[in-house]
Amino acid sequence: MRSLTPRSVLLGLIAPVGALVFAAAVSAVILLATGHDPFDTVDAMATAAQRPRTLVNSLNTATSYYLSAVAVAIGFRMKLFNIGVDGQYRFAALLAAGLAGAAFMDSLPSFVRVALTILAAMLVGAAWAGLAALLKVTRGVSEVISTIMLNAIATYLVSYLNSPERLAVSTAGSNNIGTPKITEGGRVPGFEIEGSSSKVFGLVFLAVLVGFLYWFVLSRTRFGFELKATGLSESAAVASGVSVKKMVIVSMLLSGAVAGLVGMPELLGSSYSYSLNFPVGVGFIGIAVALLGRNHPIGMAIAALLWGFLFNTANSLDTAGVPREIVDIMQGVIVLSVVVAYELVRRYRVRAEQRAVGHALGRTKTAEEVTA
Amino acid sequence: MSTEPPAGSTTLAPAVQLSGITKRFPGVVANSDVDITVRAGTVHALVGENGAGKSTLMKILYGMQPPDEGTIAIDGVPTAFASPADAIRAGIGMVHQHFMLADNLTVLENVVLGSEPRKGLGLDFTAARARIREISDAYGLDIEPDRLVDDLGVGERQRVEILKVLYRGARILILDEPTAVLVPQEVDELFGNLRELKAEGLTILFISHKLDEVLSVADDITVIRRGTTVASVSPADVTARKLAELMVGSALPVPELRESTVTATEVLTVTGLTVTSADGRPVLDDISFTIHAGEVLGIAGVEGNGQAELVEALMGIRTPNAGTITLAGRDITRDSTRHRREAGMGYIPEDRHRQGVLLEATLWENRVLGHQTRPPNVRGPLLDRRGAKADTERIVAEYDVRTPSIDVNAAALSGGNQQKLIVGREMSGDPVVLIASHPTRGVDVGAQAAIWDHIRRARADRLAVLLISADLDELIGMSDTLAVILRGRLVAEHDPATVTPEQLGSAMTGAGREEG
Repeated sequence: MRSLTPRSVLLGLIAPVGALVFAAAVSAVILLATGHDPFDTVDAMATAAQRPRTLVNSLNTATSYYLSAVAVAIGFRMKLFNIGVDGQYRFAALLAAGLAGAAFMDSLPSFVRVALTILAAMLVGAAWAGLAALLKVTRGVSEVISTIMLNAIATYLVSYLNSPERLAVSTAGSNNIGTPKITEGGRVPGFEIEGSSSKVFGLVFLAVLVGFLYWFVLSRTRFGFELKATGLSESAAVASGVSVKKMVIVSMLLSGAVAGLVGMPELLGSSYSYSLNFPVGVGFIGIAVALLGRNHPIGMAIAALLWGFLFNTANSLDTAGVPREIVDIMQGVIVLSVVVAYELVRRYRVRAEQRAVGHALGRTKTAEEVTA
Repeated sequence: MSTEPPAGSTTLAPAVQLSGITKRFPGVVANSDVDITVRAGTVHALVGENGAGKSTLMKILYGMQPPDEGTIAIDGVPTAFASPADAIRAGIGMVHQHFMLADNLTVLENVVLGSEPRKGLGLDFTAARARIREISDAYGLDIEPDRLVDDLGVGERQRVEILKVLYRGARILILDEPTAVLVPQEVDELFGNLRELKAEGLTILFISHKLDEVLSVADDITVIRRGTTVASVSPADVTARKLAELMVGSALPVPELRESTVTATEVLTVTGLTVTSADGRPVLDDISFTIHAGEVLGIAGVEGNGQAELVEALMGIRTPNAGTITLAGRDITRDSTRHRREAGMGYIPEDRHRQGVLLEATLWENRVLGHQTRPPNVRGPLLDRRGAKADTERIVAEYDVRTPSIDVNAAALSGGNQQKLIVGREMSGDPVVLIASHPTRGVDVGAQAAIWDHIRRARADRLAVLLISADLDELIGMSDTLAVILRGRLVAEHDPATVTPEQLGSAMTGAGREEG
């Protein structure tokens, strides 16, 4: 990472903040055009934000989003596009839920049960992503295509396995089906927050740990260096003795393992079962969050919190008579404008740095000096 | 300035007059206050180092970029070009350094491409063919319109490029480093053509930094340094050395080795190395050589004769089909690139942006690149950021890398400074053999001298060097042994003490083999 100067911090912030402001403006225009009052919308969201429960739910949602974003970012760092986080986490969550809910687990100590569940999820996620890595290094199949297809396969596998003859049980008095409820000892307790009926997931700390490890491995280890080098220039990495095939496999496995964690906070902290209403699509949200947070561990955390907040306040818009889809529009505009804004800032930076180097070495005159 | 039409006047107006041309870009050398007068019917050479601003100037003259200030007059008439199309209309033609020809089309098709002769709805190839023959005969270009460009040699392709601009009615030709891709014999042919063009009244602007060539062909010479014209001289009044000093603004380095440091210790031995391309054609055919400690083996050859494949096979980037590579007595034929580097192979790649640096990473990260398994860059599996940074500071100081800080991205540095960083990096960690591919390509004279110096010093410290270069003076001056590569085979050995660039050039094109 670069050294922090007020200028570099400002440059780093200008793109996301600019994109947010732009997205807010676009959303306001759309609200006005459809006959809604933008101020009512802001008001409804602000009121929702004052309820502790919204904040707790936002944090909980953000936990999954963050893990998903880290999974995506591991691939992004070496220009590997793991679009399959979605399939990886759902498949991993289902199998891990099946294991955690199985009767034989009841006899094990709580810590072992939770650890086994999480480990199983990571292994399944890694294995599912590993298929794409294998196809890429042996047959040259683009990981974008293979992970998208694996997502579809995961969807069908999950619905095949999540049925009463297999991993699932019917819930009495409901048409929902899911894996057997994980009993008390297999759960991760949450934290009570005053004024909120929901608890903060205990696995929030898992996300923090993953974020820290992500930062440490990428910026402090040889592996992280080789990953970055491969992403910046594959040909230079090869000439430097980096085995690109090995990097593809390792980073894809790591990405998949982290993807396996995405469903864990929800599974072990609130749903205790993989059922038909287990959250879907978090893998794709992770792509947006990683883009918005520029693959940076802190940036992605902020982006995940923002996304979680927007998701949880969307409900309150319905009561204010504003269509909740405005949140989707807003998220879409943010992502689009942030990508454009980052590219503009990047170009500005390159030019500014060249100018600074030229200036420091006195090789070229700037326009002002020439005219002076 | 005269706006009189040239006709009828006793002294012709200059074909091209650039006055006070200034062009600014952020961060790069542009042009400031350039004045050039090109007399009609002459060969005018524009010389300067890489990055001195020659190309920018020519782009301005060819209408590719507008000047910020200054005026352009063609045949005494002030003009402003909004695009190359305007320049072509004014009779200016440009022959680019890299050919822009479609290999799978004939000469005729390439020449008419973009200005096809129409007859009704169809194309009038008969008229075009006649016109190409006419131009070819008039200027002695010796071009057959119906041959496939794919079948043509480099020199012939260049003549096709020249024919192409003449076909479009150019009276003023800009040639951007036309000799860079030619061997000495082809250069002589080109110069013969240029003299014929001149005799027919055409004006030629010749960009180069090869001074002997400039002196032999030019009628006037303008020297550019750091974006501005520093001298206008006549070739009769200057020597190549004087010209070079004008170019760099200081005295010149020469590539030469003093006493032999070659020892009997074999460091790198290659036997029967063969690499086959995807279509089954051998690109390296049974290559064998030995480099001893303290020896520089130079490989001469026209680009594309297997040099790149040889280097990649030696570095473990490309798997050979047959043959063995032995480093200090150990067979490394099957070793990975990483193992070879750890065993002491240093690598200065031909294309630094592709293989040598990470443009969007800091200088100290680039110091780690390729050495990411060894101190001072790592401690176990962890990066040693402090160690790497301290060593980068050392390289920056010892190798005179001009940068304000080691925290800037490599992209912010000039090519020469990037190259000095690469050389410094590859010389670190006591290499036993250095694979240097065009180590001074595209760097300024100061950096070139420094790089030669470092190679000489390392050679005295028993480093074995494989030197591949397109600069024959560099090869002859820096090598203890010289081999010539032609179509993937080592075809000749020469003693650098006695060989001339002409003899090397013959061997490089294969002309020498028939004689011997």
